[in-house]
Amino acid sequence: MAISPDQPEHRTPSAPGVHPRPGWSVTPASDREAGDAVVSNFLFHWFPARALKDSLTWRYSLWLGTITTALLALLVASGMPLLFLHVPSVERAYGSVKDIENVVTFGAWIRSIHRLSAHLMVAMVFLHLARVFLTGAYKNGVGRGQHREWNWVIGVVMFLLTLFLSFTGYLLPWDQLAYWAVTVGTNIASAVPLVGAQVRELMLGGRAIDQPTLTRFETLHVIVLPAVLGVLFAYHMWRIRKDGGLASADRAALLPAKAPVPGEAGRTKTYTLLGLARGQGPLIRSASLERPDTTVNAVPDLTRRISIVMLGTVAVLSILAVFVRSPLEEPANALVTPNPAKAPWYFLWLQEIVTDTTIRIGSFTVNGAFVGGVLLPGLLVALMVAWPWLDRSPAAAAGRWFPRSRRTQNIVFLVLVAVVVLLTLIGTFVRGPYWRMYWPWQGWPEMPTRF
Amino acid sequence: MSDGTDRREFLKRIGIGVGVAAVCGQAAASLRSLVPNVSYDAPTTVKLGPPAEFPDGMKFLPEQRLFVFREGRIFHAISAVCTHLGCTVRAEALSHQEVRTVGASEVKLTHRFLCPCHGSRYEGDGTNVAGPAPKPLAWYELSVAPDDGQLVVDLAKPVDHGFRLTIA
Repeated sequence: MAISPDQPEHRTPSAPGVHPRPGWSVTPASDREAGDAVVSNFLFHWFPARALKDSLTWRYSLWLGTITTALLALLVASGMPLLFLHVPSVERAYGSVKDIENVVTFGAWIRSIHRLSAHLMVAMVFLHLARVFLTGAYKNGVGRGQHREWNWVIGVVMFLLTLFLSFTGYLLPWDQLAYWAVTVGTNIASAVPLVGAQVRELMLGGRAIDQPTLTRFETLHVIVLPAVLGVLFAYHMWRIRKDGGLASADRAALLPAKAPVPGEAGRTKTYTLLGLARGQGPLIRSASLERPDTTVNAVPDLTRRISIVMLGTVAVLSILAVFVRSPLEEPANALVTPNPAKAPWYFLWLQEIVTDTTIRIGSFTVNGAFVGGVLLPGLLVALMVAWPWLDRSPAAAAGRWFPRSRRTQNIVFLVLVAVVVLLTLIGTFVRGPYWRMYWPWQGWPEMPTRF
Repeated sequence: MSDGTDRREFLKRIGIGVGVAAVCGQAAASLRSLVPNVSYDAPTTVKLGPPAEFPDGMKFLPEQRLFVFREGRIFHAISAVCTHLGCTVRAEALSHQEVRTVGASEVKLTHRFLCPCHGSRYEGDGTNVAGPAPKPLAWYELSVAPDDGQLVVDLAKPVDHGFRLTIA
């Protein structure tokens, strides 16, 4: 849709600031109409008028953030009917979920969409984080006033919120899986030194998992955490604009212009269309960015791709949910711990770590719950948060896959990811009753349900 | 405080300070309201039934998550709560029994305990021998209720491994 600026408009406005026609077009006939769409449509107003072609390629961002957004929207949409149908009471929660599963029309499908979206969202948020790390997209490039490192920190917080949302949603069916996952999870919280017992009591609303716990988790799951996530999401988007778009834009700005831009040399602007508001950023206004053939109108080129990704995600989930049913175990029973009692897959690597990290030095013992459940994950999160300030690679490494100057840190990151994936696989496929190792093709011994 | 800007600045700061203090106070009050003052948890002192109803050997009480052991007139009780992350351990009968001196007296080890969550293993007296469990299973005080002679456990009172209750 690159139209040269001197091409005549279809209709000229009657006065400055007055738009030729109300509303906006998904198929704008001119640059002006394309710009009008961004200005006059509420949903489009967070896009720049023009977007870099480099930012829109499939292979740079893989559109993982957009997929995550689509999943979040699906979770909110499928969560609404579930909120009407689920009864957050210890006596009736299990029955209401069973009803959703077996009695309510389309109930099983809606619950399946909710559950699959939640699982996929954890995966997609993590993949998005990995993409941002591997492309060094948390690095500031050449524009002034960029603070990409803070958007990375926001992203890490949103990743943790996603995990916590999953964890709180886990308890709501009040089945065995729920009860014991929360037992283990909150006992990990109580391994925090000094305040651990109080933290656990605050989470549970008492000393045992009971009605106050269900009420608290429900409130966190449907009100508190989504609200915080929503605010951070808006800020995450706003920061992308403030930082001059995706990091690949900075890279494009550094490339030499393929040909001189006619008539552009004398133009002055106090901002660029890519959204860098603070400072003039002389470098980002390089000729390569101003060339008409490096950018396209956000409407429809950006919006079309976003539609494809979002509708595609919704379609995949809708179809998947028809075939994948959501499990519901026996009702929560405080008297019997299931054997084996496994955490959800994205926490299995933590379950492996808390199993393996009880340290004994002479008669002095450190509980694995502290080492593996608090210390190691805490260090990993702290490292992730601090990484943009530890990364000393040049600005030119921002917005590129596997640049040479960031090779070592990318390898370290991938090794850590591989370890986590390996521990997850061990937890999923190799652990059997009493958390012993069994190969997937080995049968599990018959275990009595009670001792 | 000689000229007006100083006073203005001072009042402005007081205003902002009071506003911040008010918001923090309300936030603290809201958070404090979530810390329970009354516990509706099950009581920690529980009557378990007449001693005569306990079989020789071991009996598991799921409600109390407790193993009660009896050798004739001698009783002791071991917690079923894993010391790692609080799952309920399961008892597995041993094929050959072993007698060991625990505390001051001998105890017959008839079972061992296994945790389904993370694979901790305990011997029959609660000693942790494998897996991530950081310490032995707790022993709890047993007594006889003065009114009806039932066996009573105090789940808030861990005792050392030499504890035995002998019923006359």
